Amino acid sequence: MRRVLFILSLLAILSMLTVGVVPATEPEGADVVYERSETLYTSGTQWGPPSSWNPMVTWGYAMGTAGLCYETLFIYDPFTNEYMPWLAEEGKWSSATEYDLKLRQGITWSDGQPFTAADVVFTVELGKKFATVQYSTIWEWLQSVEQVDDYNVKFTFSDPLYQEWAHFLYYRAIVPKHLWESKTEEEVVSGANDNPVGTGPYLYDTHSQDRMVWVKNATWWAKDALGLDPKPKRIVDIVNSSNNVALGLVLQGGLDLSNNFLPGVATLLQSGYALETYYPEPPYMLSANTAWLILNNTKKPMDDPAFRRAMAYAVDVSQIVQVVYGNIVMAANPTGLLPVWDEFIDQSVVDELGPSYDPAKAKQILADAGYADTDSDGFVESPDGSKIELSIIVPFGWTDWMESIKVIANGAQAVGINLKPEYPDYGGYADARNSGKFDMLISNEVQISNTPWRYYDWMFDAPIRETMGNGNYERYDNQQVFDLIVQLDKTPIDDIAGMKKVISEIQRIQLTDMPLIPLWYNGMWAQYSNAVWTNWPSSAEGRNHYLPTSWREYWNMTAILMLCDLKLAETE
Amino acid sequence: MRRYFARKLLIYALTFFLAVTIDWLIPRFMPGNPVQTMLSRAHLHAEAADVMYGYFMRAFGLDLPIWQQYVNFWVALVHGDLGTSVFVFPTPVLQVILNAVPYDIFLLLPAILASWLAGNWFGAFAARSRWLDNTALPVGYILTATPYMWLAILLAWVFGIILHIFPIAGAYSFALRPHLSWTFVWSLFVHWVLPFLSLFMVMLGGWAIGMRNMIIYELEADYAHYLEALGAPRRLIRAYAFRNAVLPQLTGLALQLGVIVAGALATEIVFSYPGIGYLILQAIQNEDYFLLQGCFLFIIVGVLLANFIIDVAYVVVDPRTRTGMQGETA
Amino acid sequence: MKTKSEFLYFALRNSKLRIGLAVVLLFLALALIGPFFTTFTVDGYVGPSSQPPSSTYWFGTTTFGQDVYTQFVHGLGATFLVGIIGGGLGTLIGVVIGFTAGYRGGIVDELLNILTNIVLVIPTLALLLIISAYLEVRGVLLESLFIGFTAWPWAARAIRAQTFSLRSREFIDLARLSGMKDWKIIFTEVAPNMMSYLFMTFILQFGGAVLIAATLDFVGLGPTQGISLGLMMNNAVLWSALTLGMWWWFVPPGLAITIIVGAMYIMNVGLDEVFNPKLREM
Repeated sequence: MRRVLFILSLLAILSMLTVGVVPATEPEGADVVYERSETLYTSGTQWGPPSSWNPMVTWGYAMGTAGLCYETLFIYDPFTNEYMPWLAEEGKWSSATEYDLKLRQGITWSDGQPFTAADVVFTVELGKKFATVQYSTIWEWLQSVEQVDDYNVKFTFSDPLYQEWAHFLYYRAIVPKHLWESKTEEEVVSGANDNPVGTGPYLYDTHSQDRMVWVKNATWWAKDALGLDPKPKRIVDIVNSSNNVALGLVLQGGLDLSNNFLPGVATLLQSGYALETYYPEPPYMLSANTAWLILNNTKKPMDDPAFRRAMAYAVDVSQIVQVVYGNIVMAANPTGLLPVWDEFIDQSVVDELGPSYDPAKAKQILADAGYADTDSDGFVESPDGSKIELSIIVPFGWTDWMESIKVIANGAQAVGINLKPEYPDYGGYADARNSGKFDMLISNEVQISNTPWRYYDWMFDAPIRETMGNGNYERYDNQQVFDLIVQLDKTPIDDIAGMKKVISEIQRIQLTDMPLIPLWYNGMWAQYSNAVWTNWPSSAEGRNHYLPTSWREYWNMTAILMLCDLKLAETE
Repeated sequence: MRRYFARKLLIYALTFFLAVTIDWLIPRFMPGNPVQTMLSRAHLHAEAADVMYGYFMRAFGLDLPIWQQYVNFWVALVHGDLGTSVFVFPTPVLQVILNAVPYDIFLLLPAILASWLAGNWFGAFAARSRWLDNTALPVGYILTATPYMWLAILLAWVFGIILHIFPIAGAYSFALRPHLSWTFVWSLFVHWVLPFLSLFMVMLGGWAIGMRNMIIYELEADYAHYLEALGAPRRLIRAYAFRNAVLPQLTGLALQLGVIVAGALATEIVFSYPGIGYLILQAIQNEDYFLLQGCFLFIIVGVLLANFIIDVAYVVVDPRTRTGMQGETA
Repeated sequence: MKTKSEFLYFALRNSKLRIGLAVVLLFLALALIGPFFTTFTVDGYVGPSSQPPSSTYWFGTTTFGQDVYTQFVHGLGATFLVGIIGGGLGTLIGVVIGFTAGYRGGIVDELLNILTNIVLVIPTLALLLIISAYLEVRGVLLESLFIGFTAWPWAARAIRAQTFSLRSREFIDLARLSGMKDWKIIFTEVAPNMMSYLFMTFILQFGGAVLIAATLDFVGLGPTQGISLGLMMNNAVLWSALTLGMWWWFVPPGLAITIIVGAMYIMNVGLDEVFNPKLREM
């Protein structure tokens, strides 16, 4: 017996050592203890172990791969609608089909090689080389890309799509030709790329199952060229396992920037924790995307525009905003466009066709369209007499949405529509959504960007296929609107009047047919602690108005500038 | 004896084969398609999506007929290749598991052992002393009756957030990189205390109750009566009773150890402690067939190994069971 | 052999049994009658958000202004349901398999052993997820059945071990020699001697079922409809109740489970004393 115990205790001690020994292989000269005043702790992006540093895997690369390590040609500021030259120094349309790009000189990759036009050409041509590259479709309207000299590139388009091109300029990370030209298709599209070499302000330091660590690049080009210097020497991104723990970490002072959805954060702002959000009062958070109520237009009775309109009048969004979210979100405009795109909202169309919360009107619309409660069960039946039993789904565990669809279902039931909330796990939800097997669901995929075209491209993705993976889950089939969206894409990015005209037509169709219903603006969840770092973005006077988030795709929308503005808190 | 072991091994092999097959089947019975789920997060253009879908299906071998996937699975298994994870793409499954399991062993092994030892000791004492039985043991009962998550969260809240004594997330400080130094060891320890305590407290009562009941039953046995009739001292009877009572407890211990590889899901969630349990949950929710299979394979092997060890131990230690298993009457 | 009335006599006098039973019955009563004392619905947004216990909202309100007391008493009912059905089913299966394996031995025992091992080894999590993927809407009943069908191996093992030790006793041999059929022996000779053990197995299965259900609810694999104490705790954690100071949402459900299951365990000990005079005299 005693021998057995002895052996078991040996095993226990050995196991404790493996944890310490196995990861203990660090390179020479690396810091092993991080100074608090040199480190920025973030969270809210990674939900699993960091496993990929490939900027092509835009949905799964480790936090900061694109933005901190790899960079883009321009940086876009959604509040000022400015394209700040970044890797590029200047870009302009020399003719209707030719775009000239002038690159900045003096930029080097982190392995010492110079950054030149060859890298840009190579990156764009990767889309031609491998059809599986995410942006390979650009070659349907890009005719050629030519390296004029070391720092100049000429793009010639067969069918210029100005909006999409503008998006490409600030969205696509440029990869080094000298390291990537020998990669196979598999490596390019799905490889881990675990020694990322980029031009950006941070370098890969280390990672483990629960964290991703970036260390400052002392030779970053923007220090001299733009006078920018990100303050934290290290950025440690913590992998979430639950929002509850993230909240605890924030309150303990162990987390500086949390991009998690932290319920109740509004109450904590006044509790002496040195917490801050972008807005000091409701809605506290910036709007990042729109939460849409998507109705499956191919299923009865959602194929009836009158039914869809009735649903729009039956949802009490204010209850969701106030009760479920505690006012950290805002109700959406009937067009669904984010506040930064206010100028594109055709108010006359909205006034004429935009719905609001009005249960009486909803019942009226249903009655007028022939929906009546023929069997007196409290719920209406279709005009042809068939029963209506619908479900609305959101992924299980997305607590705020779970609560929201309860409100929506209650609202629908109150006007006589038999709608029940259900919570399949994410896989089941995504499956039903992409294959068109759902009745109703909530989705908010398309994020804030440089143009409302992106929104419409997602809302009305065409053509309708068996599996919809990139939007238009409602499967709304209207060639006229598809054509309008292409027309919008072909409108130059600075032709605001032209854009407004096309958008107004799209909105008219959208609000007449109501294929999907905008509900609220989901927040750019961001709460920051002033315990160690301060001078965060804020709406207040004299503060910077950069985006306070570490989410993928957001670093190159000015979040990187936030890092440069940070200061150490005076009192430690 | 040889026949007995041969038979046992055969049965274990059979069980292994069946269990692994079921393990391979289970994820595939789930509706949905892991590649679809993965790509649905990628927001690709239609054409690119189609191409990538075909590409990944081929890469994961999911476009082959089911029987061929099954055969490939066994072939790969023999080569030690458990496939590539979809959730933690593109890390190989074996690497994901090996990265995560040491944390679970580190946490669970001491917790199980300590609670087993302490619990059995307590239980044995309680069976002998009425006073202990009425005071200390009820505490053990209450602890075991506590829902684990509830207790763990309360501990984290009281000691972590309110009192600031212990950290509430991670296996070691986020400001450290693993290296050989007292700072690191101390950080490891401090992050380990609360999860360990929570597991220890909840498991303790179970063992104590079990041991106590076992001893009481042994005291009911004929040999105990007989010894008493002979006038043997109480301590001697108790010693015999203890040895007999420990056997089923060993069974329980071995089984618990066998399942260590399943991780401690609840602990990992509450304390944000890295480990395989949380990955299993994520694998399930993200339809990551390969990671699931790999994890469950480890679990199956662990449990069967534990079972086998128990059987061997029993044969060596307890003659009763030996004859019983061969169907003879005593 | 003890007579029934003797058992009853000792049972009623055993303080552990009395206290344990009283507590369990108290909660059961609360579960049955409690809902009648409240006019609120389980899910409705009936009051101001995040209120501590008060005279209107006895257990306070949640982040959404739902009444915690209403959720609590309905959840209690669900918890008892899971315990009785899940625990009962688990005991039933475990007893049947355990008896058969322990009594027959040999091949039967080996086969049942394999079955037991396989069920032990199959990750219940995965099984539950397949089920949940197909049955998107699950209730508490389904959860109980699921637990019953997967938690029995422990009971089976224990019963089997006990049966082993019993069957080698003289009176069993006597019964065999006299030509009694096996199943008759099991029911008339073995079972009565294990009656106490069966009771206690049920108690442990009940407690186990309640705790397993709480964990499943917590991890998100619980029922999608209705409310249970585990679901209350899950919601409370998801909405960071404790961290935000709303202890009244998180603490009562867990406390209730602890008390009920704890009371069951204490009843277990009391029953032990009733069935084993030895312990009374200790």
